[in-house]
Amino acid sequence: MRFLHSFVTPLLLAAGAAQAASSWSFDDATVQVNGKKAAGTKEKFSETKQLSQPITISNTESIKILLVAKDGGKGKRPHQAFVVLQDELSGLEAPFPMTVKENGKAVVDIKYTDLPVQLATSSAPLKASVVLASFGSSQGLNKPVFSIAPKVDPNAAPLVYEKPLRYGKREAIHHTFRDDPKNPPKIISAFFVLAVLATVPALLVGWLSLGANVSHIQRALRDAPIAHGVFFGSLIALEGVFYLYYVSWTLFQVLPVISVVGAATFLSGTKALGEVQRRDSPGRGDYDSSQRKMCCGNKNGVDED
Amino acid sequence: MRSLVSFLLLALVASVQAISSSGGNRLLVILEDVAEKDGYSKFLGDLEVPYLYKPHHLLIASTTGRGFDIAYETPKSESLSLFHLGERSYDHVLLFPTKAKGLGPNLTPNVLLEFINAEGNILLALSGSTPVPSSLVSVLLEFDIHLPTDRQGLVVDHFNYDTTSASEKHDVLLLPTPGPLRPDYKHFFSLSSSGAPDGRERAGERSGVVAFPNGIGQTLGQGPLLSPILRAPSTSYSYNPKEESEAVDDLFASGSQLSLVSAFQARNSARLTVVGSADMLSNTWFDTDVKKVGEKTSIKTLNRGFAKAVSGWTFGEIGVVRVNWVEHHLNEEGLSNASNPKIYRIKNDVTYSVSLSEYSWDKYIPFTVPANDELQLEYSMLSPFNRLKLNPTISSEDSTTYSVSFKLPDQHGIFNFLVNYKRPFLSNVFEKNTVSVRHFAHDEWPRSFVISGAWPWIAGIGVTVTGWLAFCAVWLYSAPPAKGESKKKQ
Repeated sequence: MRFLHSFVTPLLLAAGAAQAASSWSFDDATVQVNGKKAAGTKEKFSETKQLSQPITISNTESIKILLVAKDGGKGKRPHQAFVVLQDELSGLEAPFPMTVKENGKAVVDIKYTDLPVQLATSSAPLKASVVLASFGSSQGLNKPVFSIAPKVDPNAAPLVYEKPLRYGKREAIHHTFRDDPKNPPKIISAFFVLAVLATVPALLVGWLSLGANVSHIQRALRDAPIAHGVFFGSLIALEGVFYLYYVSWTLFQVLPVISVVGAATFLSGTKALGEVQRRDSPGRGDYDSSQRKMCCGNKNGVDED
Repeated sequence: MRSLVSFLLLALVASVQAISSSGGNRLLVILEDVAEKDGYSKFLGDLEVPYLYKPHHLLIASTTGRGFDIAYETPKSESLSLFHLGERSYDHVLLFPTKAKGLGPNLTPNVLLEFINAEGNILLALSGSTPVPSSLVSVLLEFDIHLPTDRQGLVVDHFNYDTTSASEKHDVLLLPTPGPLRPDYKHFFSLSSSGAPDGRERAGERSGVVAFPNGIGQTLGQGPLLSPILRAPSTSYSYNPKEESEAVDDLFASGSQLSLVSAFQARNSARLTVVGSADMLSNTWFDTDVKKVGEKTSIKTLNRGFAKAVSGWTFGEIGVVRVNWVEHHLNEEGLSNASNPKIYRIKNDVTYSVSLSEYSWDKYIPFTVPANDELQLEYSMLSPFNRLKLNPTISSEDSTTYSVSFKLPDQHGIFNFLVNYKRPFLSNVFEKNTVSVRHFAHDEWPRSFVISGAWPWIAGIGVTVTGWLAFCAVWLYSAPPAKGESKKKQ
């Protein structure tokens, strides 16, 4: 039949103007929500009169839509008789073809479980449209008639819609750094610095009060000038090397210098300390011998420790 | 002299052919009968090397054709082979509908898949009037592209058809040229009325229609490698014309679920495009006058421009992104800023740059990221520590440099600078550069004198040194005290 039509297309084109008046429509349309046990009430709708309230449907119910398709006022079977549900937020659509009889009586039963998960989980009501159209010149019909609100049953397992992977930009990530180490307030550090530094004058004052002095320096320099100069100088130089090691030097810069300075300390030390011992030992100097002996014994004891 | 001229011409031919497509220019066209190619002469002529056999015309002719070296074969041909000694014999394959149920031993699904795996591109034109060969159905199933059952289906739309040619059968769909799939995707298939496809064109200027006559629709799986180029309008549907029933019983798909022209881009950037209607590539529907339902005036179809865009995309003439170079360096004062060092330290300031070009028909142009999209750099060890937007910094005639400067996280280990830019219709960019990241060396920490908490300890050392030297001086040079005092001391 249709095959034939393709041959007579030019003829139909000529006749198109006459046929253009006919168009698809429907009549006697009802929608009914059926539960497991009881059938719901039938609500009537038509092309011009949409249902004002959305039809709620829960997970055990189904919607039955009945209508009579008409072409130019006469009941007829269209090739395309769909109820299309559309999620108005995402624009996603799901078609439900109607079963149509020769006389145009069409029926479709949409179960809740038939709804695609994207539509069943939609937050907005679904717009239901009736689409009736067929081949030939009759104008098709595409009318929104009511809306459906899928109701989430709290007892049923919730439907989860996992969005498929789509390439696109991803969320930016910025690394969170660990905190820097913290210092105590500077005023506290400064206080303790001062407290530490204050021990130097305290030490010196303590020694002075016990009778410490440097009165023999001239005598020592007269008796062994090189030994004393080099020995005390090398002691200061050792501290200087340690300071440079702290500031910038490496270990292998330090070691040769330390070995030179250490040798000088050792060689000059024997002479310088010998001079000190001679100066202090009994019978050798012009001091009171008994007192020096005690003194020296004391010092030797310290040295041996 | 003569040999020099011929050598120069040869070099010229070589250069013209080299720029025809970023992926090569050997195109195999498979038809049921080689004579059928006359029906597609405009489309194939647009693809062909211009005046290949008239080398003296080469200089003026290089603007018309797109420089493909076309071979024509039938599926039954015994000499047909997509591979020779393990290498591809062709860079691209264009399959027109054939009547046989299978495609013969030279075009088994396995061979076609191997061709895709070897980075060959396939443009598959189907038709609503002949059943699709079963080997193609199984190839398409591998890519998660589904065809109607019984290998045959016809897309009709009773609301969107051409009244001049299909007033009864409604199988010539008139569609606006497609816009971008998503606002952040590049779109190559929206045409201006002049028919020139241009990726950077504004979407608002679209006018004219694409005719989709006598075609078969596909449905696409969920995978991210698949994208519809042309979707069916919401009132259209697919049915089997062989079935005698007067209404649709078993609906395959309808509306925008139906993809009329679908694109698949594999991970290796090989492309497969399924054009549901081979007729839309034929001479008949290039620049034809069509009339939409309910409209008085007829308009021209944009099929020629659309066919150019679809074939150009499939054969790697557009949408191919090239990475020219990747560079990263230390971005710190007073330190060596050599390119691409193997090692960094944690908390180093580093600059990463990547230069990208995009192939556009016959030359490389600077690659620009679509307005809502971002090119992102991931700095990752197992999972990304940073994901940062790369900003365009330098643009030259044929490339754009994208770069970003950032401080490396305080975590040592083996890290990757990773640019993984995968988008529909653009070839995949995956650039991974591995570097070691060490922690601070012992002499890179702040010195103790800048740490205020260390001051009392430093002062303690100074006090000890001073006390020691003072003690030595007293030991060496102290005169004995008076007797009484000395006894007291002990």
